[in-house]
Parts: sequence; C-alpha cells; structure tokens
Amino acid sequence: MAQKTILIAEDEIAMVEALSKKFEKEGFKVIEANDGEEGLRIALELKPDILMLDIIMPKMDGMELLKKIREDDKWGASVPIIMLTNLSDADNVSEAAKFQVYDFLVKTDWRLDDVVNLVKQKLNL
Amino acid sequence: MKISLKLSDRILLIIIFFATIFVLISFFVIRGSLMHILILGGLIYVISFLMTYFISRFFSQRIVKLNFKVQEMAAGNLSKRIKALRNDEIGQLTNSLNELMGRLQTGVAQDVSKHHELAKAKTDFVAIASHQLRTPLSIIKWYVDYLVAGDAGDINKEQEKYLKEVYKSNERLIELVNALLDVSRIDVGTFSIEPEPTDIIERAEAALEKFMPEIKAKEIHLIKEYGQFPLLELDPRLIKMVFHNILSNSVKYTPRKGTIKIGIKKTERDIYIKISDTGCGIPREEQPKMFTKLFRGFNAKKIESVGTGLGLYIVKAIIEKSGGKIWFHSPSLELLLDAGKKDSDIPLDKRNRGTTINITIPLKGMRKKPGSKKLNSSEY
Repeated sequence: MAQKTILIAEDEIAMVEALSKKFEKEGFKVIEANDGEEGLRIALELKPDILMLDIIMPKMDGMELLKKIREDDKWGASVPIIMLTNLSDADNVSEAAKFQVYDFLVKTDWRLDDVVNLVKQKLNL
Repeated sequence: MKISLKLSDRILLIIIFFATIFVLISFFVIRGSLMHILILGGLIYVISFLMTYFISRFFSQRIVKLNFKVQEMAAGNLSKRIKALRNDEIGQLTNSLNELMGRLQTGVAQDVSKHHELAKAKTDFVAIASHQLRTPLSIIKWYVDYLVAGDAGDINKEQEKYLKEVYKSNERLIELVNALLDVSRIDVGTFSIEPEPTDIIERAEAALEKFMPEIKAKEIHLIKEYGQFPLLELDPRLIKMVFHNILSNSVKYTPRKGTIKIGIKKTERDIYIKISDTGCGIPREEQPKMFTKLFRGFNAKKIESVGTGLGLYIVKAIIEKSGGKIWFHSPSLELLLDAGKKDSDIPLDKRNRGTTINITIPLKGMRKKPGSKKLNSSEY
C-alpha cells in the first residue's frame, strides 16, 4: 500500500513535532506548515491524503484555510480534514459543518494513539 | 427683565383683589337696598367660586401633568426631559427633576458600561485561559504519551512510573482548566443547551463506564433502577456531564464495599433521577454551601485531597437553566433502609453517612438555551 501523506498545519512547533514524530512512526509521510498561508501553498502543491488544521494560526486561521482548500474543485472538495482546537467553539463547529468537516479534535482530550486511530479511520486504513 | 411671580405671591394678590372688592361692595351696601346686598353678595360668591376653581385647576393640572411625566421617566425612560413652561415653583421643581434625571442617567450608563466591561473581562479571561493553558497542557500530554509508548526509545520501569505520575497530574490540571472554563461560561451566561432526542439510560451508562474500574477495585455494590423511557429532548453532552459529576463524587467518597444506587424513573410530569451512596455525607453545618463554587466538605477533604469543588455547581446550573430542579439529603438512610432494615437497625456510626442527590427534569425535555459556547470539551 502506498504511503499516505498527512499535512499538519499548526503554529505551535512542539505540538507539530509530537504529532509528526508519531505519524512518522506509524508510517505516514508528514508535511508540516506553521501558518495558514504556508499550509495553503503546500496543500495545493502536494495535495496530501488528509489534513489536520489548527484553528488559531498566524497569517491565515484554520477556518479560512479550510474554506480556501474546499474551493479547489477536484482534490480539495473531498479531501478529509480534521480541525485541531483548544476549544470546540459552537460557531466554528457549525461553520465547519458547511464544509463537510465534522471532526473537531480538542487537543487536551485526545491521546496520541487516538489521534492516529482517527486519522486511519478517516483514510479507511 | 421678566418679572416672575411666586405661587404664594399670586395667592396673596388674589386675596388682596377680593378684599378690595369686598370693601367696595360694602361701601355700596351701606347706601343700597337689601336687594342690592343680595345680588352683589351672590355675584361675589359666584365670581370667587369660579376664580378659585380655575386657579386651583390651573395648578393641580400642571402637577398632574408633571407627575405623569415623572412616572414615565421612573418606568425607565431616563432620557426624557420635561419642559418648564413657567419659572414659578412648579417650573423650578421641573428643572430640579430634569437635573436629577440627568445625574441618574449618567450613573446608570456608567454602571451598565462597567457591567459590560466586567463581563467582557470575564469572557476575555476564558479565551486567554483556554488557549494559554490548554496549549502547554496538551503538549505535555502528547510528549509524555510519546515517551511512555516507548516511541522515543526504551524506558525502564521506574521512568515509566514517574512519567505516568506526570501524566496523571497533567490530566488533573486539564480537568481543572475545563471546570474553570465551564464555571466562567455559566457565570457569563454564554453556555448553550441544545436538546435533541436522547436515550437517557444510555447517557447514564456512558457516564458510569468511566468509573467502572474504580467501582470494581473498591468492590462497590452498584444498584441500577431504570424505568422505560422513549427518546427525550435532552442535551446529550450536558446530561452525561450531570451523571458524570455526581457519580464522580459518589465513587470517590464511598468506602470499600459500600453501595451506590442510580435510579432513573418517570413520574407524571418529570424524569426523576436519584443517585444515592453510602459515602461520607455532607456535614450538616456545611450543607447550605453544598452547591456553591469551590465547596468541599471538610470530611471529604480528609478522604480525598484532590477535587475542584466545581462539579456540583456546574450540575446545578445545568439543571436549573434547563428547567429542572435539584436537591439533596445527607445523611441519607436510603440505601441502609433499602435492605429491609428498620431505622433502629442502623448502627450509630453509619447514621451520619450517605448522600442522595435528587433531580427532576420535565418529561417534555430540557429548555433550549441559545449561547455561543458549549460547556466543556469534546469528552462529553
């Protein structure tokens, strides 16, 4: 089976590192982005299999990034996206649902293993 | 220069006016016939009556009008001002009232803006606390996770033990931050209640599941008495949180081989939830504080040093905001009497024990409450 690519857009370096090390151990190819604009550029260029987007990021926030990715007709319209948050804000939850995103991962409530399992489940692995 | 007469001056003038007429008439009467006296006397009576009537009417009507406008302002229209038509006492009173209203209005405006400022400061605190506290907490959580899993290389038993302690303490901090955020959302009033068709028994079981390892380890006898329910209009996260917070206390404070009973029944109008335990109970003198923020019974603190004292405060807010009621009994002889025992069968050392928490929620469901924030994290 081909190696799956995951894009992690998150401005907190330590957090990106924890996630990417874990996913690399699990056999994923990890692409990192530290702000929304970088995330969008890399995403459109490399078209990863799944994305994890932090909501609060410099330059462009995760919600804006989500909308921009969905604007891409072929790949972006259907790629699975998981939002990373500190709090599941009701406004963001309903806004994201408009873009077929239903997974809000509240960081403090998730163990790394469970994060990996969620991603695998999204990719039908 | 405008000459203005005081009210008292006017009345004085009127009296002088009538007195003059009286003197003039008296002068005629001395020389006139009886008929003249009667006619003139009657005339004076009629004139003075009419004048008094119109003068008093003139003043009383102004006072009535003034009163009407003052009432309008008192009803909340603080920006209203009354126009003073004359510069007499009533006019002056009007001006004083306007001045008073002006000051009152500024005062209220200051209070309102202060209130908004405080509410905003609280909301800002929530936002800052959520981000600033949760980010490092999740970083700690994930790295400890990573280390314990051996992903960064093998660790020995001792290291594993310590790392697990770090993990546990971090979880406690996360729980505390979550509870504080909830309290702040309750206090600011931004939390939402979103009822949807919900299986209440499933929700109780889901909350219970988390405590099963501890219940088994402490050999606690668990009794469940569930009625039959259709799907009810409840906020599934909030109702689970209610069960979770109450059970968390019951499990924590019930001693080994104690009993916990969960009853969920239907009455004519309500869902009746009753959770009893044979725990340490709530000291009588501390019972009035039971549902207040940060309350922990002094006996509870001796049994378990860990606890935020926020759980029941949150439960009470959820229940009451959704249209339900909550109350408790302690000591609760509920479970001891259940086993067919009489009051006198209960040993003295157990009489002071146990708590029963009662909750009713209308069968028609929880009351919807719009709000920008959900209580707590995705755990519920």
